[in-house]
This record gives sequence, C-alpha cells and structure tokens, in this order.
Amino acid sequence: MAANVNGPVAHHFNNMGQQLATVRMGMWMFMATEILFFGGAFCAYAVYRLMYPKDFEAGSAALNVGIASVNTFLLLFSSLTITLAIRAAYTSRTKALGRYLCLTTLLGVAFLGLKAREYHMDYEEGLIPNVSTLSPEAKEKHAARMAALAAEGDRLEAEAKTKSGSEAAELRERGIELKARAAQPPVAFNENVKVVLSHNKAFKGRPLDEQTYDVGTPSAANAHDYDPFKVQLFFMFYYSMTGLHVLHMIIGVGLLTWQYVLTRRGFFDHNARFVYIEVMSLYWHFVDMVWMFLMPLLYLTGPHTAGEAIEMFKKSVGMTGGH
Amino acid sequence: MDHDHHPKTDVHTEEAVVHDVAAPGPTFVAFFFIVTLAALALFVGFSDGLGPWKLTANLAIACVQAGILAFYLMDLRQADKVTWLIAASGVFWTSLFFLFTLTDYLTRYLGVL
Repeated sequence: MAANVNGPVAHHFNNMGQQLATVRMGMWMFMATEILFFGGAFCAYAVYRLMYPKDFEAGSAALNVGIASVNTFLLLFSSLTITLAIRAAYTSRTKALGRYLCLTTLLGVAFLGLKAREYHMDYEEGLIPNVSTLSPEAKEKHAARMAALAAEGDRLEAEAKTKSGSEAAELRERGIELKARAAQPPVAFNENVKVVLSHNKAFKGRPLDEQTYDVGTPSAANAHDYDPFKVQLFFMFYYSMTGLHVLHMIIGVGLLTWQYVLTRRGFFDHNARFVYIEVMSLYWHFVDMVWMFLMPLLYLTGPHTAGEAIEMFKKSVGMTGGH
Repeated sequence: MDHDHHPKTDVHTEEAVVHDVAAPGPTFVAFFFIVTLAALALFVGFSDGLGPWKLTANLAIACVQAGILAFYLMDLRQADKVTWLIAASGVFWTSLFFLFTLTDYLTRYLGVL
C-alpha cells in the first residue's frame, strides 16, 4: 500500500518512496554502528563474568532492582507512545503528535530521574570502586567487627599463657594474627559492599577477606562466597554500561524535546515529515532494546526477591523509614 | 546536470518501498507481548527455580522482546531488503565480535589470570 504523503522530493531521489526508504536505511545503518558500540561493552562484560561468576552475582545482588524494574516499564511504555506519535504525524494529527512526544519525553525524564536517584543511593552506600570512605553503617559494623577480632586475639594470647609448647605457640600466633588484622585499615568499598549484601535476604555469600582460615573445598555452604575486590570490577561495568545508556537517554530526551518544539511551530503540518518522527522512534526503540539486555545482565543475575525489590523502590522514593 | 523531479516509471526505482505506517492495533498487541515478557523476565529473575539457567532464560526472553520490538514497533517487517541486510549485518558482526573474543578467553588457562 503506498504511503499517502505529499511533499517535495530532494533532487537526488527519484520519488518520495525512494527518499523515505533511504532515510530509514540511513538510520538503520547508524543503529548498526550503535550495536557494535554497545557490543564492545557487553563483550567485555561477558569475558569478566565468565571469569568471576560468583563475584558478579554478588555485585548484582547489591544493586537496586526495584528502581530498575520500574524503569523497565517506563521505557517500554515510552516505546509505545513514540510509535503512536509516528501514526499521529502520518495522519496529520499534530495535537496528538505533540501529546505523544510530550508523554514520551516525560517518561524518559522519569527514567533519568529514577536513575539519578539510584546513582545517588549507590554513592550514599559507598558502592563506588576504589572509594576511600566508609558508609556510616559500614563504619559502625567494621569497628564492631574489628573490636571483636582484637578481643578474640587478646583471648587467644591469654589462653596461650596457660598452655605450653607448640600449642601455646600456635595460640599466640593466631592471637597476633587476629590483632594484626584488626589493626589494618579497612578497604572502604569492600566494607560497604558487605553491608549492602548483608541486607539481601536471598544472598548467602561470605566475603573471602573475612575467612580467617582456609576457604576450603567448594560446597553448597561456600557456593556464593565472593571476593569484594572482584565485585569492584562488576561495579566498573555497572557504571560504565548504565552510564553509556543514560548518555543515550539524555540525547534522546533532548531530541524529543526539540521535535516537540518543532511540532508546536507547525513543522510537522506537512505529513511527509512523519519520517523524522519515525527516525526518532528508531533511536528510542534502540535505547529501549539496549536496556532489555542490560537489565537481566546487571540486575537480575544476582539473587533478588520481589518483596525486596518493592522495599528497595519504596526506600528510594522515601516511602519507608528504614531498610 | 538535469535534475528530473518527475517520478520515473523505472521498475527499479519503483521498488523503493513505500509502505504505510502501521495501524495502532498491531502496535498495541506487540506492546502487550513485550510487557508480558518483561514481567516474565522479572518473575524468572526473582525466583530460584532455574538455578544457573536463570541468566540464559532471561537473555532468551530479551532476544524475543528485541525481535518483537524490531519487527513491529521498529517496522522491520515492512522494511525493504537493504534495511533487512543492515539489521542482519549488525547482528552478524556483533556475533563475530563475541565469537572471536570469547574463543580467545575461553581457551586461555584461566589459572594465571
């Protein structure tokens, strides 16, 4: 069925059909390059995930899956509205076009707002790789844990005095080792992530740097143990991949705003210009598609429960008093 | 240079696809399926039933969602052959990207890393 569009054809095209097809093709070519752009990040993630699966699952368990879930539906709904905007432009319903563009923009802004809140909460919880400060809760728990370690060290040294020979030497050595560990300055990110993971009811891992003695052979009990240093690696991927996605969203929101302004100025009164909306929609759908893959790879790979996701979201928007 | 603004009747140029913009019906149906799949992905993500297959299942759901999005909302269904070729090329080159990179890393001795 031929498109019922009227408008000037640029000099280097034979007819409107060819012009429209070329515009669409150009946008698909751009998206092919974008696939490769994101593909690099996904590929690097795949490599390191294969190397450190348990640590990446631990990192995922520390993320705010509540916000991510809501963001998923916001983005999906915005894909619907931008698609309806194409039809509105094509049938010269400029008021409806303006409404759909506005709605899509608002949904995009809502996504970005929640994402900003998520980043801020990550900052407050100290989940920034190589961060140098402990979160308040981590500071308190670390101090308590180190005090307990030092006390245990003192106890072992006192017990060593009541023994003799190799037994006494061993006890004294363990006591000194525990006190030395207690005196070590904390690695802030490691302590922060331990605190966050302690709140995940489904997560059962133990950090390797708290296992005083041998890790032991793999078993169900230590199946989820993790190395907090490698969790930092996960968070590098988390920030860079979601950051790239956010950058694309910001560009998309800017373009949508511009198209909305053009709509108000009557630019889309000529229905041949619906293809501009279609090109915008292709970009927006691509950004949505990237999120469809980001979500399971980053957020759903670790253990979460639906109740926990709801609680996290409530906490994010200030609907609850505590964790 | 003579710029001819009159449409030509050349068969080759008439093959330039001039397709209609899709009616809202298929759009809403596609949207419904995508949202349902998103809910399914969350359900799989929040449950422990699949164990180590959880990620595979979620990625499979994402692939189906991407396919529905591309065919219906991005109008790939009505696109011309060149557009199909470009879309397929993007997927093809990305798969090569993954294949060669993972072939390297998966065949290394991971103990030294």
